[in-house]
Amino acid sequence: MLSVETFETIEEAAGAVGERSRFMAGGTLLMVAVNYGNQGFDRIVRTSDRRLGEISNAGDRVHIGAGVTMAKVAASRDLAFLAPAARSVGGPAIRNRATVGGNLFAPHPYGDFATALLALDATVHWADGREEPIETVLQNRGQSIGLAAAVSVPRPQADEFRFLKVARVKPKGASVMALAAWLPKSAGRLENTRIAFGAMGATAARVKACEAALNGTNLDERGIEPALQAATEGLSPQDDALASGWYRREVAPIHLKRLLIPERRL
Amino acid sequence: MTTIEFRKDLFADERVDDLKQIGKPTVRQDILGHVTGRSPYYDDHLFDGLLHMRCVRSPHHHARIRSIDTSAAERMPGVRRIVMPSDVPHNINTLLSLINFGRDDEPLLSHTKVSYRGEPVCAVIADTERQARAAIAAVRVDWEVLPHVLDVEEALEPDAPVVNEEYPNNTFDYHERYDHQKLRFGDIGAGFAQADRVIEGRYQMSPIEQAPLETCGAIAAPETNDRFVCYTSTQALFFSLGTTAKLLDIASSRLHFVGGTVGGGFGGKVDSIVEPMATLGAVLTGRPVKFMWDRPEEMQVGAPRGGERWYIKDGVMNDGRIVARSFTGFFDCGAYTRLSSYAIIKATGHLPGPYTIPNVASNVYCVYTNRTPATAMRGFGITGVDFAIESHMDKVAEAVGMDPVELRILNAYRDGDMKAHRRLAKNTALIECCQVAADKAGWRIGPQFAAASSLSDGGGDRALIGETVTDQEGRIGERRQRRIPFAPSERGTGRIAAGTAGEAVSAARPQRDDMQPEPERIGHKVSAADPERPAQPAAPPAPAAPPPQAPQPAQATPPPVYEPQAPAEPPAPQSPPPAQPEPYRPSEPFQRGVKRPGASRFISGTRRR
Repeated sequence: MLSVETFETIEEAAGAVGERSRFMAGGTLLMVAVNYGNQGFDRIVRTSDRRLGEISNAGDRVHIGAGVTMAKVAASRDLAFLAPAARSVGGPAIRNRATVGGNLFAPHPYGDFATALLALDATVHWADGREEPIETVLQNRGQSIGLAAAVSVPRPQADEFRFLKVARVKPKGASVMALAAWLPKSAGRLENTRIAFGAMGATAARVKACEAALNGTNLDERGIEPALQAATEGLSPQDDALASGWYRREVAPIHLKRLLIPERRL
Repeated sequence: MTTIEFRKDLFADERVDDLKQIGKPTVRQDILGHVTGRSPYYDDHLFDGLLHMRCVRSPHHHARIRSIDTSAAERMPGVRRIVMPSDVPHNINTLLSLINFGRDDEPLLSHTKVSYRGEPVCAVIADTERQARAAIAAVRVDWEVLPHVLDVEEALEPDAPVVNEEYPNNTFDYHERYDHQKLRFGDIGAGFAQADRVIEGRYQMSPIEQAPLETCGAIAAPETNDRFVCYTSTQALFFSLGTTAKLLDIASSRLHFVGGTVGGGFGGKVDSIVEPMATLGAVLTGRPVKFMWDRPEEMQVGAPRGGERWYIKDGVMNDGRIVARSFTGFFDCGAYTRLSSYAIIKATGHLPGPYTIPNVASNVYCVYTNRTPATAMRGFGITGVDFAIESHMDKVAEAVGMDPVELRILNAYRDGDMKAHRRLAKNTALIECCQVAADKAGWRIGPQFAAASSLSDGGGDRALIGETVTDQEGRIGERRQRRIPFAPSERGTGRIAAGTAGEAVSAARPQRDDMQPEPERIGHKVSAADPERPAQPAAPPAPAAPPPQAPQPAQATPPPVYEPQAPAEPPAPQSPPPAQPEPYRPSEPFQRGVKRPGASRFISGTRRR
């Protein structure tokens, strides 16, 4: 039998998650597992804690509850820079359920929103009070048990943050790849660049060689050439029904170029 | 608003345009339910005390079943019944047995061996789907893994593993004689010798899953008067009913089948696997039982359009005329026949495509491999070979330096031409299709091609049937002894006189004489072929073909009932013709209608609906 347990607070729910149980946020992935008879868990844990659905400003950062839906992100004035990433997830029905916290743990090829958070150097706030950079959370995904309560992201300057999703079926297809770039500038030149790819490996991942090649350059064709050469360094894209790993590797520099220097489409 | 453009200027004198339905917009009878979301799926029918059935499936392509241990599963909570192969009253069937075509070759649940990955060996019926899944996981099967074959040509090697015991040569037996379907028209050897160039090509199409929105499934429940009701996703309701009656050895009058109009089928819901399973569950438990494939099952064991491989060899003159065409086709029918044997008959009837070619030969093989059995899908039997033919036409056009549309118009069949299956072509329209398509696409074609017509320049010499060369290669079982070429022989051993026309072969006779349609009482023309019926005037008289003398040898006739008859052959050098075996007859006739009136041995005391 499958049981569903609902708790008042995030902390209580976090304490109840254990072996053969799953935490349910929006349920877009979990309910598929339930409907398809996944035998890997017997308990579903939920919480009715309102804090999970809040968006608040904290200094130069925005604090997003893990239960905030993609639809809510897309509608939020404070999170306008993340709206393109939120809108790229699923269709309206999925965005109405899918959450920021769930996206951190969505398996390949899902997790487009996490790619955007990774490029923005988000911090994950665990229910037990720990804070951890999103990069290590993604790297260690599946190895530890915990409940993410919120994420916080710095607010980028206008046009510093860019996001691009490549899918075969538009507008609702799953990713061939997702690309996110945070491109802060100092005296006209790029500095502290962060480039992240989604669906190019088990989890979203940064390409540090590419970032290093961009730092100190201008955003023009000559300047980004070395970065394009290094676009997939360290990534190990997999074959799936949407694209082969080889194809993903071949087209990644082209999409990265389109992200960095948007083409004027006639 | 319509995007359809009716070209009524074409063939205007062949049409009476006063029909009430054809050519008029009409409202589908089920469309209101569809657009308002009210049309019921089979799974929308609710039953109290519904039980759920799931199958234990083979993880191997090919394996012998040493033993099945269900003791742990039987003790699990909610498990009502384990269904073993021995619970299926008549556990062997072939879909087309309902029209007496082919031999029974497929069990509902396999008891000795499995021949494809996902083949069911037993089933569990439990109170919930989750309990059924848990019990399935607890069933232990001791497999002896056997070598498997997944490629059609490898399956025809002499030492290939036997996939299907009923057809130990890995091919369907055609007309009790050959391991393939033959088509012989004219002399391809002479055609190739006469041609300026010979152009060959190899074309392949992978299996395609129909991917319906609603996966295959059925809910069966005991009904009053010893009957069972079955709500099903089938797209062939009476096929499913007949198949269920046969497998369960139950009178069809005790089955009440209810279909639907939503969910999508596209050919993938003909195979009638889920209905016998659900009904068997209801028979064994006396409770409503649902048997529903999940999406992975639909993809893994749901029968797809089969893979096909075609080799085409054309003899072409420098001016683009195709004078000979030879086909070698392989249908990958998977582990069991289902409908592939019939798809090959359709494909062969279609050759050589909509073109007039004086010398045509084909060998088409229905090959058993350790893959998921293939079945129907939109235009099956035609789609794959049409892809091959039209791809090859482009290749020929490129080789002879001709425009591909002009090459098609040059070779297109026209009214009055003789087709490879020895019938005159009528109502042909390929030329007009090419002209309109070229015009719409802004594709320029030469003036003589733009002026061509299907109505003119056909017939005459093009209606002649040349002397046909025949051969006896590829007899059933021969390929197990030694390798023999797959392609049609270009040096035959027999001759059929020029002018020998085809003969209509009527399908199965009606069961009762009073079911024979009376031509004068129905509103359309019927075939004149039935010997019981007074002959109708033949449709268009053949311009040049003399009347048929020896009414036999068109080897590509659509067969269901086909009495093989040796063509008039000169003494064959290699061996005397073997004795003709008796055509296949089922050992006991298939029963329809009430067989056992009275109480069912299955009905328990449960409350019936």
